[in-house]
Amino acid sequence: MSHGIYLGETPVRRTQTPGNPLLRKIQRACRMSLGEPDLALNLDVADYINEKQGATSRDACVTIVRLINNRDTHTAVFAISLLDVLVKNCGYPVHLQISRKEFLNELVKRFPEHPPMRYSRVQRLILTAIEEWYQTICKHSSYKEDMNFIRDMHRLLKYKGYVFPKIDQAQLSVLKPSNHLKTASEIQKEQEIAQAAKLEELIRRGKPDDLREANKLMKVMAGFKADNVVHAKNSIASELKRLKRKADLLNEMLNADKLTDSQNETASELYGSLKSAQPKFQAIIEEEQDDDSMVSDILKFNDTVNQLLQKYDLLKKGDTTAASQIHPSAISTDIQQNSTGALANEINLIDFGDSDMNTSEPNQQNNQTDSSTNSNNNNNNNNNNNNTNNADLLSDLLGDMSISDNSRSQSTFGAGGSITLGSPLPSSPAEPVITTTSASTTNNNSNNNNVFDLLGDTTNNTQSNNTVDLLGNNSSVPSSNQALNNDADLFGGVQRHLINSSTYLKIEAIITRESDSTIKIKAFFSNVNQSPISDFTFMVAVPKLMTLRLQPQSSNFYPGNSNDGITQEAYIDNAIINSSKPLKVKWMSTFTVNASPVQETAVYVLPKI
Amino acid sequence: MGNSISKALSKLFGSREMKILMLGLDNAGKTTILYKLKLNTVKAAAPTVGFNVETVTYKNVKFNMWDVGGQERLRPLWRHYFPATTALIFVIDAHDKKRLTEAKEELYSIISEKEMEKVVLLVWANKQDLKGAMSPKEVSNFLQLKQNLKDQLWKVVGSSAVTGSGLVEGLTWISNNTPKK
Repeated sequence: MSHGIYLGETPVRRTQTPGNPLLRKIQRACRMSLGEPDLALNLDVADYINEKQGATSRDACVTIVRLINNRDTHTAVFAISLLDVLVKNCGYPVHLQISRKEFLNELVKRFPEHPPMRYSRVQRLILTAIEEWYQTICKHSSYKEDMNFIRDMHRLLKYKGYVFPKIDQAQLSVLKPSNHLKTASEIQKEQEIAQAAKLEELIRRGKPDDLREANKLMKVMAGFKADNVVHAKNSIASELKRLKRKADLLNEMLNADKLTDSQNETASELYGSLKSAQPKFQAIIEEEQDDDSMVSDILKFNDTVNQLLQKYDLLKKGDTTAASQIHPSAISTDIQQNSTGALANEINLIDFGDSDMNTSEPNQQNNQTDSSTNSNNNNNNNNNNNNTNNADLLSDLLGDMSISDNSRSQSTFGAGGSITLGSPLPSSPAEPVITTTSASTTNNNSNNNNVFDLLGDTTNNTQSNNTVDLLGNNSSVPSSNQALNNDADLFGGVQRHLINSSTYLKIEAIITRESDSTIKIKAFFSNVNQSPISDFTFMVAVPKLMTLRLQPQSSNFYPGNSNDGITQEAYIDNAIINSSKPLKVKWMSTFTVNASPVQETAVYVLPKI
Repeated sequence: MGNSISKALSKLFGSREMKILMLGLDNAGKTTILYKLKLNTVKAAAPTVGFNVETVTYKNVKFNMWDVGGQERLRPLWRHYFPATTALIFVIDAHDKKRLTEAKEELYSIISEKEMEKVVLLVWANKQDLKGAMSPKEVSNFLQLKQNLKDQLWKVVGSSAVTGSGLVEGLTWISNNTPKK
């Protein structure tokens, strides 16, 4: 047999990489001859994984991380960009793989114990990726408890002195949860994929704990537990609520005479999200035929949306007279008043029961008990107490958010994780600084992490514009508090408790006991600002043991400088007299001032009645 | 280190480890077989919701036996257990003639999966201790494996979880017919 070049019987083909098509596709996407990462090839891999599921996401991640550790920078960079595409397009199955301990350890295999003076390109890209995951899927994923190792790795790197680069907001938004309305079957399908991925991973690991969890998961998947259905229903309901609020916001904006540029942008975003949700209504109605109340609710909402969209179109054309003929009804206000409980749940107001008390620092708890006993004759003290609570809440939120605050993370170079919330490391200088800021700053902060995402992402623009001057005004709060307290003292007869006062709003309440188990709260809201307040809603959450009955508020609009412009009554049942623990109430108010939404929230400790 | 040493030792003495997946309709006797093999006792098993895993060591071979519940609702989840399977044991209730067709359909839907192409297939025609149970031969004819399986190793063995007959025979056949690495 000669070894020259000759044509044989078999057709001449490019030598194919042996192995399965997935590995071939990955190698094609990372091959050296490419000039730059090829998005089409990367997406091809993502599509393949989405189609085949099963072990593909695991195989892909294992292969990619090996390529990332390749000596050749070119290949490594390609592999990272491929991984990025997979994380963004394949959802939970890939997220689960990248949060495996083995994977993460492999990913940082070539990181020296002490950070180098200058990061290599690959190192920088890896740090970027981890930071990105940390800020997105670790926080927003519905299964974020599975992503613990990413968080740990992030913390570890930080502790070792690595500095994470700043992430572009646009990059982050890709991995943020999509707030699209989905039908029950779509939600369930997503869930099935996620659960299947989890189950296979647990079986693969095969440790006793994993197997136990796998058994549990299997029961859920086989429908022996109703979790899946309930979950799907809940998420539809909450998404509908969010949409309704968007609809109201748009309605309000369209009713205003003129839109500013930033509002215009917001309005068009709202318009877009409503319009894109509309086709889903029909699908949901078809699936949820048995649920009459839901169907009629959606139909009603659909009418409103139709009117709104029509109105918006007319306004766009400049036909103001025709537009003013359309008066869509406000859809979500009545819901907000009637079902405060559910709403509160959604924004996580209610989850502050006993466990929360345990986590707060002990001296603060003393503070609360003290002031609640004193507060009958000392409103001022009460107010302080309220402020501490505010700070508590704020530090909660800030802890989450401090990561995205770049200037701070830069300054802690080498300090090792002092800004990582929940880290076992001591000293976190960021927290105590904010003690007297009004809760409306919380609002601004929380935009980043969706905790108080009442209006969806679309209102970011207006809110951040407005909170800048809010912060400026806050310096005057203490002095005005003084004046307000005097007012309250002068007010004859019944003792009023000051619940909160900010630059816009003063909330006072008369708290009386109706019976051994029922407390009546009559709240008075005063507008202390020049500008009128509109669309005012007030929400309250009580610990789970108790039930809350909230009466409709007298109005949702008050002119500037009005005293007791709005009143609202609430009853708390099952609040046992002489209970040892002080009763804590979490409240939140949202309203619109000067056409921009404001939100205030805090915890209030009821005095013993 | 210790791990690799024990691996080397096990290679020397020819001990192996394999994942065996045991499937079949509900009430075929999978769980009873599993615990007969493991503990040599017959337990009245409640319908398995989920799965059981036990390691059975026999003649230097470590069988990791996965017994997955056979109820209709659990069957769609079987495929999650396919990866890395060396041998599939399909248990058939040879006494329940009414459901033989159903069992056949399930069996074919499993072995038509790509991941199961290369596994060794053992069918246990179970409950041979009961009167009126079909013989392994009858079951084998009914399943028509001869006509339909070209490249796959398969065997039908009569078994009884109560007496324990046929169980060892089945496992021996599996260990003899899987590649010795």
